[in-house]
Amino acid sequence: MINYMLTIFIIFLIAPFLQGLTKSIKMYLLFKKPLSPFQPYINYMKLIRKEVIYAKESSIISRIAVFMVLGPIIMVVFLMPPVFHGSFYISFIDAFTITGLLSLSTFFLMLLGLDSASAFGGIGSSREAFISALVEPAMILTIFSISLIGKSIGVSGAVLNLNTYFDINHAASFILAAISFFIILIAENGRVPVDNPETHLELTMVHEAMILEASGTNLMLIETASALKFAVFATLFVSLFFPFGINHCWCLAVLVFIAKLVLVSIAVAFIEVNTAKLRLFKVPNLLGIAIIFGFLSLFIYYVVGE
Amino acid sequence: MINVLIGFFIATLITSLFTNRLFRLYFWYGINSLILGLIGIVIGKIYSLNELVIMGIITIIIKFIIIPTVLKKITLTFNISRDITPIMKIQYLTILVPIILVFTYYLITPVLITFSTHPNFVAIAISSLFLSLLLIMEHKRMIAKIIGFLFMENALFLLGIVSTNGMPMLIELGIFFDLMMFILIINLLFKYQGE
Repeated sequence: MINYMLTIFIIFLIAPFLQGLTKSIKMYLLFKKPLSPFQPYINYMKLIRKEVIYAKESSIISRIAVFMVLGPIIMVVFLMPPVFHGSFYISFIDAFTITGLLSLSTFFLMLLGLDSASAFGGIGSSREAFISALVEPAMILTIFSISLIGKSIGVSGAVLNLNTYFDINHAASFILAAISFFIILIAENGRVPVDNPETHLELTMVHEAMILEASGTNLMLIETASALKFAVFATLFVSLFFPFGINHCWCLAVLVFIAKLVLVSIAVAFIEVNTAKLRLFKVPNLLGIAIIFGFLSLFIYYVVGE
Repeated sequence: MINVLIGFFIATLITSLFTNRLFRLYFWYGINSLILGLIGIVIGKIYSLNELVIMGIITIIIKFIIIPTVLKKITLTFNISRDITPIMKIQYLTILVPIILVFTYYLITPVLITFSTHPNFVAIAISSLFLSLLLIMEHKRMIAKIIGFLFMENALFLLGIVSTNGMPMLIELGIFFDLMMFILIINLLFKYQGE
């Protein structure tokens, strides 16, 4: 049990660091003077000291939505697959649980955007609904296909099975699922080809538009939720698609796990620097590829992998 | 090994269905042909068929290096517009591609037992045939339709390899010369018609 709590604690601690690391690598690659990767922690300390102001038109939703955005994501963090061998884990988690909890969080984020009755909130909420509706089928298909390859419907069981034995016949299916999941990781966390997290230009805002009215501690909680969401997706990605390193002793396994997470943030930073942001109505092309690759991964599992 | 390569063969074909830039389409055609050549080489090594290995190497040289380069040169010489937005919407493609994949597998299942070599790979080859037909259908511009024909030729080559373990070398070489003539004719067509 102490192992399990340690894993959860590591994910909570490292989540803002991953976001800061992505940003500082991106600034370094653009020849700017990079911020410290620990900048998000400093921001949180600053935000927590500021007072909370609600918009005049806002209702009770604005007060509770912040906690409902953070709550399901914290719940998902507790359901993550084990980081090292022999650790306690919750075994009944499948694709629907994770996708459903994340959708609950997204739903309250959209309500928060609509509640303050500003025009930008409505724009942001409609765009977020558009993107997250397209992400869900791809995510369910991908996690199902990886569960089939891992021969267990639960995510944690699949991770453990993949670590002990990897069937080379299903490598094509596995790699296609990995590509699909990486596209989902970028789309769901509002990274560059889908949404730019750094601008406040009304044409491109998705995530920023919904949280314009939040302030003080509320803003800090929402920022924490978005950092944790990235950490959840990165953890799922590295546990499912880099299945090695769990069977070492616990200190080495944790180090390998953190190295893999850092690698994912570096990959995201490189993609952000090298691609231009898509127009909003081109986003279905990218997510269509994710859906098709998820389906193709299932299809190839049945047809080719004998 | 062949499993992985065949998976990527159909994945590159599907990615090329979603592109709307011409040079991107050439790039995916090149990668598709590279994978096809590797499949030929691997099957030739496994069953020790030397002619299949030679065919794989010729495929890589001609289809991965020469044809994309020549097509790029033609495009730049005759100032062909490089925007090839499909006339079919992406939403319809997202539905159509899984339907084609499943339908082909359903269609081929009764025939599969007669193939002794790689029964399931035949299903993939035939579905890539249908997908390249979709690529021809979804574009209005002629240059994209030509790439569709080339993709279809790749799919036929794959079908030839996996269903019969390789046709006689003379026929394969004939197909290659045919392809070279095809490219020459396209060149003339663009020169005089200009698009």
